[in-house]
Amino acid sequence: MKTSSYTAIAYLFLAPALILMGVFTFWPVGYNAYLAFNDYSIADATATWNNFAHFKYLYGEELFHDALKNSLLFLLVVPVIQVAALLVAKLVNNKLPGMTFFRAAFYIPVITAISIAGIVWLNVYKYDGILTWFLQSLGLIEEQINWLGEPEIAIYMVMVFTFWKGIGYYMVLYLAGLQSIPTEVEEAAVLDGANAWQRFWKITVPMVKPTILLCTLLSTIAALKAFQEVVVLTRGQADTYTALYYVYAQAFTNFNFGRAAAAGLVVTFFCVLLAIVQFRFFGEKK
Amino acid sequence: MSKSFTRALELTGQYAGLIAFTIFTTFPFIWATSVAISADPGNIWLFPGAFLPTDPSLVWFKRVITDIPFKDYLLNSTIISFWTIFFTVVISVMAGYPLARLRFPGRGLIFIGIIATMMLPSEVAIIPNFVTLKHIGDFFEATIGYKLIGLNTFPGVFLPGVAGAFGIFLMKQAFEQIPQDLIDAARVDGAKELQILWRVMVPVSAPSIAALAIFTLVNAWNEFIWSGIVLTSRDKYPLAVGMFNDLTGPFAVSTSMVMAGIVLSVLPVLIFFALTQRYFISGLDGAVK
Repeated sequence: MKTSSYTAIAYLFLAPALILMGVFTFWPVGYNAYLAFNDYSIADATATWNNFAHFKYLYGEELFHDALKNSLLFLLVVPVIQVAALLVAKLVNNKLPGMTFFRAAFYIPVITAISIAGIVWLNVYKYDGILTWFLQSLGLIEEQINWLGEPEIAIYMVMVFTFWKGIGYYMVLYLAGLQSIPTEVEEAAVLDGANAWQRFWKITVPMVKPTILLCTLLSTIAALKAFQEVVVLTRGQADTYTALYYVYAQAFTNFNFGRAAAAGLVVTFFCVLLAIVQFRFFGEKK
Repeated sequence: MSKSFTRALELTGQYAGLIAFTIFTTFPFIWATSVAISADPGNIWLFPGAFLPTDPSLVWFKRVITDIPFKDYLLNSTIISFWTIFFTVVISVMAGYPLARLRFPGRGLIFIGIIATMMLPSEVAIIPNFVTLKHIGDFFEATIGYKLIGLNTFPGVFLPGVAGAFGIFLMKQAFEQIPQDLIDAARVDGAKELQILWRVMVPVSAPSIAALAIFTLVNAWNEFIWSGIVLTSRDKYPLAVGMFNDLTGPFAVSTSMVMAGIVLSVLPVLIFFALTQRYFISGLDGAVK
């Protein structure tokens, strides 16, 4: 009797969460898969089976291939942001004055809305923007460069923005990892005459290895899913389509929900694959 | 080379690195501020000159407030964020309690189901949720003659996100740490489950609830893509959408105004961050979810 009364209460408490997740999280998985195999008409909300037409189209379309390529290229951010975040975390992880200020300064881009931060960077990257002026005054370039308009460099400029926006987030994760290293270990190494470089590679890196793995996987998934920075900075111009930007643009500029869903399914497949790897590594530890 | 000399060298290097990196992360905002408070826009594209305000004044801020419905956007952001926090906390607390403290059939399965949603890229739900909201809106229109939930409504913006694995997981963990004696004592006193949750669990878990509320606020306040898709009328836009559309659209020609708009948009977040920063950057909190 006791258990059954708990069962009713438990499901009553869980009901709001389960209903909302059912409608807005689980249903979309199935519905997205369904849309991917249909032509969807927004006007009269009807879907018609189209015999894999979307997938055939995606298989042959250059824009989608370029988008996938750019998403893979975006993985370049991962090692750079991880090494930099670990170094920065190491620098702010001590009892010297001013560390709270520096941590806060590095975290500000993380808590700024991507759209608002993006507007400033649009002005930094303009052909007569502050980046051009900065490099000109150093004598490194002569021409004015439209940083987000040149297909060869635009995607890398978007990556720099991603790096700027995200480094504080990973810094905090590394900080948590660093704080679990007992100070005695480092002190002993100092006594043994190890220099900062040796201490970093021989002590810090091995001891935060679990955090490094976690952050690498998180940022790998984030890099494959990158698209908000493209929405804000380039709207896909100058060869900057990423996989999810393709989904977004197909859905809300082209209004082809079916094709967007099919492309989304391809992205989901890769993300779930990576997430499974992540859970294999960290499942027990959570 | 003496030991103290090496130490001084190390310290100098460390601070030099920190300052260089601070310049990298903050220069866009410093530049924006400097341009925004310069009445004269003549210097804003010159390299070192742009970082020092010329002829300081608040004239561009006044222009932003009179020409752009900044206050409406601010109010919309506040309303959306408030309801997002309210529902996220209530739903996560209610769902976290039975998962942490009650034995019932299906518990394991439900928990795995909730955790599994963390693997899915939430972006892929955008299209189905758009379609679902359109239907829900049509349904309300047909039955009660008023679009309570649907496209271009505030609930349409916040409802899809309020039941999430992160919040439920956070509250479950918080409730698991409460001693069983406390609950047993309340049961002996004849408390119902809802009373136990409200009178015992919630007060004791206040720090976790505060953390959840703060993270939810920042996410809701900064959310940009989904709000931009669901909301179609300008008077409903939150800051992140409204300011972006205005400052990259009709007002993009005046860089001074753009920068003043940015400073005004970032300011509320910065003030909030200054008050709550230990939740974000102490490093020891459950940052690793």
